[in-house]
Amino acid sequence: MKKILIGGIGNILLGDDGVGPYVARLLEADYNFDDGVVVADLGTPALDLIDQLSGKDAVILIDSVKADATPGTVLLYRKADIMRHCPAVRMDPHSPALVDALLSADLFGVAPPEVLLIGIQPHSLDVGCNLSQPVQAALDQAVTEVLRELKRLGVQPQCRQVPAERAIWWTEQASHQSEQASYRRMPLGLP
Amino acid sequence: MSKRITIDPITRIEGHLRIDVEVDDHAVNNAWASCTMWRGIENILRGRDPRDAWLFTQRFCGVCTTVHAMASVRAVEDALKLEVPLNAQYIRNLILIAHALHDHIVHFYQLSALDWVDILQIPKADPAATSKLAESLSPWPRNSRNELKAAQDRVNAVAASGQLGIFMNGYWGHPAMRLSPDLNLLAFSHYIQALEYQRKALQVVGILGSKTPHIQNLTVGGVANAIDLDSASGLNMEKLELIRVLLGEVIEFINQVYFVDVCAVAAMYPEWFKIGSGVKNYLAVPDLPLDSAGSSYDLPGGIIINGNIAGARFFKTASDKDFRAGVSEDVAHAYYHGGKPLHPWAGETDPQFTGWNGDQKYSWVKAPRFNGEPMQVGPLAQVLVGYAQGHPLTVKYANLAISNLQAVGGFRVTPDMLHSTLGRHAARAIRASMLAELAQKHLQLLTDNIAKGDYEVHNQPVFPGHEVEGVGTHEAPRGTLSHWIVIKDEKIKNYQAVVPSTWNASPRDAAGAQGPYEASLLHTPLARPEEPLEVLRTVHSFDPCMACACHAFDPEGREIAKVKVL
Repeated sequence: MKKILIGGIGNILLGDDGVGPYVARLLEADYNFDDGVVVADLGTPALDLIDQLSGKDAVILIDSVKADATPGTVLLYRKADIMRHCPAVRMDPHSPALVDALLSADLFGVAPPEVLLIGIQPHSLDVGCNLSQPVQAALDQAVTEVLRELKRLGVQPQCRQVPAERAIWWTEQASHQSEQASYRRMPLGLP
Repeated sequence: MSKRITIDPITRIEGHLRIDVEVDDHAVNNAWASCTMWRGIENILRGRDPRDAWLFTQRFCGVCTTVHAMASVRAVEDALKLEVPLNAQYIRNLILIAHALHDHIVHFYQLSALDWVDILQIPKADPAATSKLAESLSPWPRNSRNELKAAQDRVNAVAASGQLGIFMNGYWGHPAMRLSPDLNLLAFSHYIQALEYQRKALQVVGILGSKTPHIQNLTVGGVANAIDLDSASGLNMEKLELIRVLLGEVIEFINQVYFVDVCAVAAMYPEWFKIGSGVKNYLAVPDLPLDSAGSSYDLPGGIIINGNIAGARFFKTASDKDFRAGVSEDVAHAYYHGGKPLHPWAGETDPQFTGWNGDQKYSWVKAPRFNGEPMQVGPLAQVLVGYAQGHPLTVKYANLAISNLQAVGGFRVTPDMLHSTLGRHAARAIRASMLAELAQKHLQLLTDNIAKGDYEVHNQPVFPGHEVEGVGTHEAPRGTLSHWIVIKDEKIKNYQAVVPSTWNASPRDAAGAQGPYEASLLHTPLARPEEPLEVLRTVHSFDPCMACACHAFDPEGREIAKVKVL
């Protein structure tokens, strides 16, 4: 049985930075996963991410990325892409931790062999609990990329006949409705 | 001719701590601490249901989730004069202790040990000799030659690969590094082991809080844990036993490894008990309540002014009236509109960004003051206040640290030397051992109370018709945290969080008084100003935690702090 983490990273109080937790909760509500697959809203875990990554066969992370692309663009990064970057000279424990966490996990011998970061270019990271329109429009593709990666890893989640309630408690009701217009569940897994 | 050095991890969207120092003749003669991003997250809370506030506040910060959740429910309970059942107090206390133990371990090993430990000396160590050295320091069973050799092999492999990986940005071979190769290896081997033990502490948070990193079990008026000794899903004997076992392992690590390492490393750097003092005003709040009303506590609180330990004043409760009245925030040097310092209940968060100007506004952090004075918060504040009070647990572990340092370093640490960079590290280790002992105590209190047949976990909140104010405090791993709430018509009218790092990273106030980071850096000697390791040592000793908020990955960014020498 493969141990896989699907982790949404980001701060739900900072606009589009909440896209990672949002996608994690969509997946939790709409799909049943095999034992061994963990779906989690990780928030902004900093160095605690080492714990989350350690001992997994594969990790799929969803996060906002600052890539100077059009807002809502979905970009994929593999472990080697991420590890190209230097770790930070840390002033505080909250400095960007994905690279540091992967490098530390490597040093400790617990790093996952497979890492995919599904990045979504944000439109706004201003204080607020809603996703912007362009990022809402990208939810569909972000979920598809998660499912595609799972298939590649040999895991097929089951789309629930009746979706569970989405635990996206932080958004305004109005925003939620427009999101539903742009995101559709995929009963057969991949389109 | 003085040089200006800026240390600014600039690359990312989120806020960071920036430090500017002026260096004259290889010593710091002026310093500014600033935060580079506005959060104003509190504004999100206005108009919401006070019962939901903790769900939002625990997202203020990715690492200190639990502490902001706890301060929030306490603020609402204070406003509503709502008591909390004993079981709920004990469960909350256990969560707070486990979180703090996790945090203190991570702080020392992951965030600051490598300011003192030189990785590149490790290949020269002799694992057999290191094992002997370790035996002389501690009974810890995982200091065998084999375990140490394995740690050394990891470093050798990294060095041989030419890819320094996580160690890429360290100041290795810096003249301010002074540990023997063997002690470097010993500390590094514990750096690896620390990962396992901080995880066990988090597991305790997870069992009681039902999830990490965001606990789910809080509610205004208590906790949502169902205590049911016969059910698999509730809090039962099996879970209590698992918590006992996990805590036992963490406690052994704290007492036999962390505490010992801090003393052993500090013993080799005696001059750092004389560097890094700065603001000698200290503030701590009482925590770990022992009754429903919150009238007695296991951790003491109070204030010390100008290093006068004998003249300390103490807070009886976590919402002491002197504490409530004394706090204000000054924005003279922060990027906000405003004139006079404001009390948090009347606090405003109205941004006025001007760009960095050391003589005028230069930080997004407001300057909290207590009766108009800057205050240092954190484990050192709590330990000094406890010591002043003769608090038995504080005295016990403070004396143990003093005797360890004397045995290894051959010098005697006086209370006055605790106003220093290493004083902050020593105090954190002292506090960790205190908390370790209290973890066992509160687990026993919980178990005993349940055995009496008390299963109460929650009191129902009742909102009065009129406007009410409350403050929720918590003595968090980084120091005094307070959430201030104003409630009207069952909605949040105002909310302000005065967090530990705002106290410590505070900019100057209208009177020009520097904040603790700034003041602590004055007179710090720098062996190589272009590699300001000594500045990092002192800043890291506070365990800084800035805009903990936004976390977007930057694929093009060099995720490296920029050190600029002008």
